[in-house]
Amino acid sequence: MLIKTENLWKTYNMGGEELHALRGVTFCIDKGEYVAIMGPSGSGKSTLMNLIGCLDTPSKGTYQLNGRQVASMNDDELAFIRNKEIGFVFQTFNLLPRATALHNVELPLIYNGTTAETRIDLAKRALEMVDLSDRMMHRPNQLSGGQRQRVAIARALVNNPSLILADEPTGNLDTKTGVEIMGVFDRLHEAGNTIIIVTHEHDVAQYANRIVHIRDGQIEREESGRKRAA
Amino acid sequence: MRQFIESVKIALAALWANKLRTTLTLIGMIIGVATIIAIVSLITGMNQYVAAEIDQLGATTFIVDKEGIITSEETWWERMKRKKLTVEDMNEVAAACQGCEYVGGREMTMRKVKSGNRYVNDVFIMGSTANFPQIVNFEIEQGHYPTEADNEHRRPVAFIGYDIMDELFPGMSHIGKVITISGQEYTVIGNGKRRGSTLGNSHDNYVIIPLSTFEKQFGQRRSLDIFVKARTFEGIASAQDEVRMTMRARHKLKYADADDFEIFTAGDIMSMWENFSRGAFIVMIGISSISLVVGGIVIMNIMLVSVTERTREIGIRKAIGARKASVMWQFLSEALTLSVLGGAVGILGGIAVGQGLSALSGIPMGIEIWSIVAGILVSGGIGTVFGVYPAMKAARLDPIEALRYE
Repeated sequence: MLIKTENLWKTYNMGGEELHALRGVTFCIDKGEYVAIMGPSGSGKSTLMNLIGCLDTPSKGTYQLNGRQVASMNDDELAFIRNKEIGFVFQTFNLLPRATALHNVELPLIYNGTTAETRIDLAKRALEMVDLSDRMMHRPNQLSGGQRQRVAIARALVNNPSLILADEPTGNLDTKTGVEIMGVFDRLHEAGNTIIIVTHEHDVAQYANRIVHIRDGQIEREESGRKRAA
Repeated sequence: MRQFIESVKIALAALWANKLRTTLTLIGMIIGVATIIAIVSLITGMNQYVAAEIDQLGATTFIVDKEGIITSEETWWERMKRKKLTVEDMNEVAAACQGCEYVGGREMTMRKVKSGNRYVNDVFIMGSTANFPQIVNFEIEQGHYPTEADNEHRRPVAFIGYDIMDELFPGMSHIGKVITISGQEYTVIGNGKRRGSTLGNSHDNYVIIPLSTFEKQFGQRRSLDIFVKARTFEGIASAQDEVRMTMRARHKLKYADADDFEIFTAGDIMSMWENFSRGAFIVMIGISSISLVVGGIVIMNIMLVSVTERTREIGIRKAIGARKASVMWQFLSEALTLSVLGGAVGILGGIAVGQGLSALSGIPMGIEIWSIVAGILVSGGIGTVFGVYPAMKAARLDPIEALRYE
């Protein structure tokens, strides 16, 4: 079992008023699964993603990632877990604008002390996996949206994380490019990666083999992705 | 170490990307460090120069005069009222002092010197005893210095400096020629070696005549500066005491009375100068520290701007696994790189300024290694002190907030 949450609560204090973004979420994700977390805005899916991504800690409940209890970790321990276990893919790509594609992909390795040669090696391999070997020295502003997202995916992959966490990965892309990016995720899944995609788009969620619907901070229902089922 | 190099690389890239901003940010730091380096170099050079100048007096020579070294207006007013020293004083000192090898004297004024229709204004006219070249280190190039006999007979003979030669007798022989000072004619009998100039003051702008001739033409109202060369270096103090006793007796001073004349050595002038230059040094360092602090504040300001601008980047780095310390170190090393860069440019600028001033003024310049090391350390220290707050601000950012920052 890769992810195991039990009764996760996240409560924000907004000017003296308590706001429950999550109200007791319990679920498990196995290694190698492809899961979509769906929900309208305000449903708590972003909060859940932040918790799963170890960017934040729950107010209540437990979260086990790859056998490690994450809920009570401090900032630096969380940073370590993020570096080791999680590869992020964001809606707005979040690449360093002044750095080359190669350097962007190298970035996670800088923070775990990988030597420069190994770093460049691994980064090149990750860029090959997303078919960007010929764009390594380009900066983000010299790349198309789809290419940028593929750089971001390469960055997520480079550290060989146990989980790839994508937040609306096609949200800033046109339909055709979106399909292309989802194709990349398919390939990664087939290669054995565990993928969680957070989205509000039905079409995107269908790529997953399991869809978790969130509403009002709770799991509303689960279904299997149609594409897989079919 | 690897992370340090990595951070400096990131910092340099970020600074390079904002060249104009980097330059503007660094101006305060550059000026501060440059000022310090230039000042230290010039004062060191001045010290060497003064030491060389004073060395000319000789280690065993001391001076007895009416005013001594004046350091304040009050002492000047007070000492102006003193009895003047005379040739008789000098002669009695010479007769009484066992520890004195030579006792000589000098009086000075400033006059116009003419020859035919050529002239030089504001020349130092010095009346001196014949033994003067033995007391101070003074090198004769041609001819001879006014002799004992010249002095005895009040002969109108003149020993001149290079400026006078160049101006009055360009390209021709000067020995035996006649010069006129305030209507009195003098025969040129020799000249001293060229000594050059400092701070625009020439050291070759003099005419030396016998002391008695000087007093005959320019009167006896001036106080005589008595120059004494002790027999040995160890004997300076006792020679000074002998001279002091003689002078006190001549001035009929009572036991409790203070001296009404001054005795000082080259060392006294040197330490006097060192006091002055130390004071000037402290004042100048104080002033340039202000620009260093301002430079530091500018760096802090620009680092705060940089942190805000790069909130998103910080978010990305944190999401990817950068710890607080990594982020903190990244921004701190950027501030450090920035300030040390400013320091290095400042050092080069300071050396250039010093060299320029040195070329203009003729004061030699002494570049001190410690001042360069201090420049780097001080600029680095300022970068660290003023970089800590922005770096801490960056390190404390919440990754979720930072990623959401537009």
